[in-house]
Amino acid sequence: MYKGKERKGSSSEWRDAFWNPRTHELLGRTASSWGLILLFYLVFYLFLAGMFVLTMYIMLLTLDDYKPTWQDRLATPGMMIHPKGDQLEITFSVSETESWDRFTQTLNTFLSPYNDSYQVQMNDNCPPDQFFIQEDSGEVRNNPKRSCQFNRSMLEECAGISDRFYGYSRGQPCVLIKLNRVIGMLPGKNGQSPYVTCGAKREDGDKLGPLAYYPPNGTFNLMYYPYYGKKAQVNYTQPLVAVKFLNASVNTDINVECKINSNTLEAGSERDKFAGRVSFKLRINHT
Amino acid sequence: MNLAICLLLQDDHEITIEELETRYNTSVTKGLTSTFASQVLERDGPNELKPPKGTPEYVKFARQLAGGLQCLMWVAAVICFIAFGIEVARGNVTAFDNLYLAITLISVVVVTGCFGYYQEFKSTNIIASFKNLVPQQAIVIRDGQKNQINAHQLVVGDLVEIKGGDRVPADIRIISGQACKVDNSSLTGESEPQSKTPECTHENPLETKNIAFFSTTCLEGVATGVIINTGDRTIIGRIASLASGVGNEKTPIAIEIEHFVDIIAGLAIFFGFTFFVVAMFIGYAFLEAMIFFMAIVVAYVPEGLLATVTVCLSLTAKRLARKNCVVKNLEAVETLGSTSVICSDKTGTLTQNRMTVAHLWFDNHVHAADTTEDQSGQSFDQSSETWRSLARVASLCNRATFRPDQEGVPIPKRLVVGDASETALLKFTELTVGNIMDYRNRFKKVVEVPFNSTNKFQLSIHELEDPLDLRYLLVMKGAPERILERCSTILIKGQELPLDEQWSEAFQTAYMDLGGLGERVLGFCHIYLNEKEFPRGYAFDPDEMNFTTSGLCFAGLISMIDPPRATVPDAVMKCRTAGIRVVMVTGDHPITARAIAANVGIISEGSETVEDIAQRKRIPVEQVNKRDARACVISGGQLKDMSSEELDDALRNHPEMVFARTSPQQKLIIVESCQRLGSIVAVTGDGVNDSPALKKADIGVAMGIAGSDAAKNAADMILLDDNFASIVTGVEQGRLIFDNLKKSIAYTLTKNIPELTPYLIYITVSVPLPLGCITILFIELATDIFPSVSLAYEKAESDIMHLKPRNPRQHRLVNEALAVYSYFQIGRCSFAGFTDYFTAMAQEGWYPLLCVGLRSQWENVHLQDVQDSYGQEWTFSQRLYQEYTCYTVFFVSIEICQISDVLIRKTRRLSVFQQGFFRSVKTHPKHASLGIMYLNSTQLVQWWFVPVPYGILIFVYDEIRKLGVRRYPGSWWDQELYY
Repeated sequence: MYKGKERKGSSSEWRDAFWNPRTHELLGRTASSWGLILLFYLVFYLFLAGMFVLTMYIMLLTLDDYKPTWQDRLATPGMMIHPKGDQLEITFSVSETESWDRFTQTLNTFLSPYNDSYQVQMNDNCPPDQFFIQEDSGEVRNNPKRSCQFNRSMLEECAGISDRFYGYSRGQPCVLIKLNRVIGMLPGKNGQSPYVTCGAKREDGDKLGPLAYYPPNGTFNLMYYPYYGKKAQVNYTQPLVAVKFLNASVNTDINVECKINSNTLEAGSERDKFAGRVSFKLRINHT
Repeated sequence: MNLAICLLLQDDHEITIEELETRYNTSVTKGLTSTFASQVLERDGPNELKPPKGTPEYVKFARQLAGGLQCLMWVAAVICFIAFGIEVARGNVTAFDNLYLAITLISVVVVTGCFGYYQEFKSTNIIASFKNLVPQQAIVIRDGQKNQINAHQLVVGDLVEIKGGDRVPADIRIISGQACKVDNSSLTGESEPQSKTPECTHENPLETKNIAFFSTTCLEGVATGVIINTGDRTIIGRIASLASGVGNEKTPIAIEIEHFVDIIAGLAIFFGFTFFVVAMFIGYAFLEAMIFFMAIVVAYVPEGLLATVTVCLSLTAKRLARKNCVVKNLEAVETLGSTSVICSDKTGTLTQNRMTVAHLWFDNHVHAADTTEDQSGQSFDQSSETWRSLARVASLCNRATFRPDQEGVPIPKRLVVGDASETALLKFTELTVGNIMDYRNRFKKVVEVPFNSTNKFQLSIHELEDPLDLRYLLVMKGAPERILERCSTILIKGQELPLDEQWSEAFQTAYMDLGGLGERVLGFCHIYLNEKEFPRGYAFDPDEMNFTTSGLCFAGLISMIDPPRATVPDAVMKCRTAGIRVVMVTGDHPITARAIAANVGIISEGSETVEDIAQRKRIPVEQVNKRDARACVISGGQLKDMSSEELDDALRNHPEMVFARTSPQQKLIIVESCQRLGSIVAVTGDGVNDSPALKKADIGVAMGIAGSDAAKNAADMILLDDNFASIVTGVEQGRLIFDNLKKSIAYTLTKNIPELTPYLIYITVSVPLPLGCITILFIELATDIFPSVSLAYEKAESDIMHLKPRNPRQHRLVNEALAVYSYFQIGRCSFAGFTDYFTAMAQEGWYPLLCVGLRSQWENVHLQDVQDSYGQEWTFSQRLYQEYTCYTVFFVSIEICQISDVLIRKTRRLSVFQQGFFRSVKTHPKHASLGIMYLNSTQLVQWWFVPVPYGILIFVYDEIRKLGVRRYPGSWWDQELYY
């Protein structure tokens, strides 16, 4: 409250505030004043940036190269299908080749690293139904770690060898299911491998028809676990399960849900629709 | 409008007084009876204006909910609801986020609205309650007795007295008056005073001279009148109800804050819009982009700032009221802090406003009496025979008496009937001799001659205490030189010695000494009248003075002064260290004024006036260099002859100024001169004539006890105890609140940057979002409100009264330095957030370099197998949870830095160690609120430690800044970094 305060609202005052020609002040500061303050902030922020980089560096030093410090978000691994579009829909017409052509092509690409010849060359033939443990002995890293073969031929009907079109041309499509990689995860015990079961959701039950699983029973064999991370286990081959829909109803939407059955993995929470399960829509058009 | 009012009016001014008496059942001599008055009071209600129907409370509340920003938030909330609806219709379960955000936004608006409403409510109440602290009094005659009652108790028919300085308490028909003049400007806008007489001069009640109107001010004279209208039925009451609904004006500080918030909001909306466009551009849905926009606006705008400021000011106003300073408008608190000159009255403000015996001279010695308010000082030697005689003269030759029924009251506080010096003598003798009334009865008074200005003495003749001694005793007091003329002997140690040259000289020296102290000196003498000449029953004639009045025996001198209040010298000293000039402006004699000024420290020890120097150097006054004289006493006469430039010069050249014998008009000239020199002036005043000066001053201070209603109306602040020291307390509080507000604002601004940078980095570098909207809202509204208010309770930095007054034109509340320092220097705690964020990401498997550019994959709902740095695959939900963790981590980092921030904000220039770490206990709710956050997360403790180095860095950096500011005042460092 300054009684009798006067306010001169002239434009020259504003112009002076921006550039005062008498004192050579830009925004109330002379050139040297600006220089000094900018230099100050330059030094100040260089120091801060330096400190930031330093703390980042120290933080990175504390990390283990082979295993993340925490994995609590990944208690239940996610599941995914192949082939997939944006919306997790497999819709095609048997008679129109181009409608399923892209599915078979993705599958071909996806399965190429699983070719038997390649697998034999790169990976070991491990004893099945037991974990393939490759512990480090103390400080000495047991690297690189070996991986087990997952041969494309193990997918039998869905391997794309005997049937180049994975059953799509005959209205019996194959869908590949994979379990997300999580370092150190042991998905079963007592020699019991986890396996995949698929079923229709709710009212679609009778439309689904019989299913065939490859490898038999839809298991992810224990020998593919544990995973040691991409640095230690360069050639890790992720196991797959193929589901073949033998006689699904045509010209109708079928909501399918596949889930992992394991005696060690926790069931995923309600909120995450892809933890330990995967849902997708199947529609086979046939005229 | 006049017509309408006239129609409503009665003819009270035209009828005779007898008719008036019968109409209102009253008497112009005795007034109403108390019982009838209370009946009428019950019928008519109290004599006060009903407050105009203000805005209904719900409208006020609604207004809090519908400001510009609030509207924006409402829109955002609606958008969120729509988004939620759309997502739910699509069957997407994760869309609950939008619902939460909408609910949060609404609660933000409602909570801040409630807070704002409550604060407005509270501060209005505080200011309203102050009115009751200084009630208007009126002198009313009821049952033939004169009483002082609260003006709102008056009823129609009451006989009231008004005198110069009073506010007219109701509409009054004048019965008798002497030179009564009334200022009608509050009613008619006419500034010329109107004289009021008992005659009816006009049929229009507004024009007639025998009616004085409610709320006008009596400027001079006295009048008695009968109340004809009270409360809302008075003329002003009718006008007020006709023209009700005058809006509340916003205070300058509120305008400044609002202006600041507007700038910030503009900036926020600009940033928000830019981000909105960018977000749309990189492919976000409209709704999501809108939410970013909102988050930025919410993060940037300090919603609680105005409320905080109002709280701080009203808290201080309340605190001041407890210390006897009632502030009439809130911003006065803040202006008070920038005061650089106080023009103070002497009587009653600097002094106790009671004459007190200060010195005595007898037996050729000056004895000092005890002048303290509570009689705690030293007394003098009372064993001398002369003292007994002197005390007897002082006790007997005194017409003052105590009012009855005051046995329990300490003597200095008792009410006395009599003039100031007689009162002083009465109290003094009561204290030293004891039981004066009884003493006087023992010496029966035969005759007395009261004081008059021609003979300048007062005498009385008494019978003696001893019934056998038939002599009469004549006692006399008066102007010392007159008394000495009549004396032929002098009493020394009980012996009557002839009054020769030597004793005369001793008397002169003593008289000059005491006079030089600015004290009022009285001489005392006595004589035993000759028994033969004046036998018992002698007819003494006070007019003829047919008795001995010369050749008396001189007993001694007693000098009196209105002593300074005990707290004043300290307060003046405090002002001096605080760089505030105290200028004394008084109507008293220059010598008295100077003596008091020297006594309280306004003129410091060793300071000389021009005249002193001239006397010391034995040169004419004209030859003295005026700059050598620190002190200067200017009398009203001199002031009249000075041009305004000369006065400015005098004020500039002499730091210690005393104005004596000044008129109230000259006070205004002095205030204007100080303001011309760029000072913020506080002025005290009590009389009607002080109003212009009080209004002109930046802070007008009225006296609560001695002040007239007119002065109280014109003032910004009222001192309930009339004590100068209270002003200094006010200044201290004003400075404190200014500092604390600055701290509070600086604290509030700081967190805007760490809230904004996550978005900046998110958009520019495409990392997963480090800080979510809800978290920002949580910081703004939950964790940060308490610390920012708690800073208002911060104790003063101990050197607050050692600094020069702030220049209000340069040192604004929110200035560039404060904003820059908060935003660009302390705001860097966003680095802490990013460190913590990248740590949390890296520890889960997402290395910093992978995070860069990750956003599109990270936020793709259809990707359920995004690979981290270790080759693990993540579903969308897993990534989303990780993002929430990041929000928490970033939030924790901001909080850690804000703890550091609140610690550094405790002081602006002192080290926190000097101030004491936890002197303000109220900062702790913050720590408590942190404790309840996200306790379930196992790794939380670790994330608390990551930002700690940054917290320490902030602390250390600010200590270095403060050290530099303290060590090198005026340096580049000080200029750039002191806010």
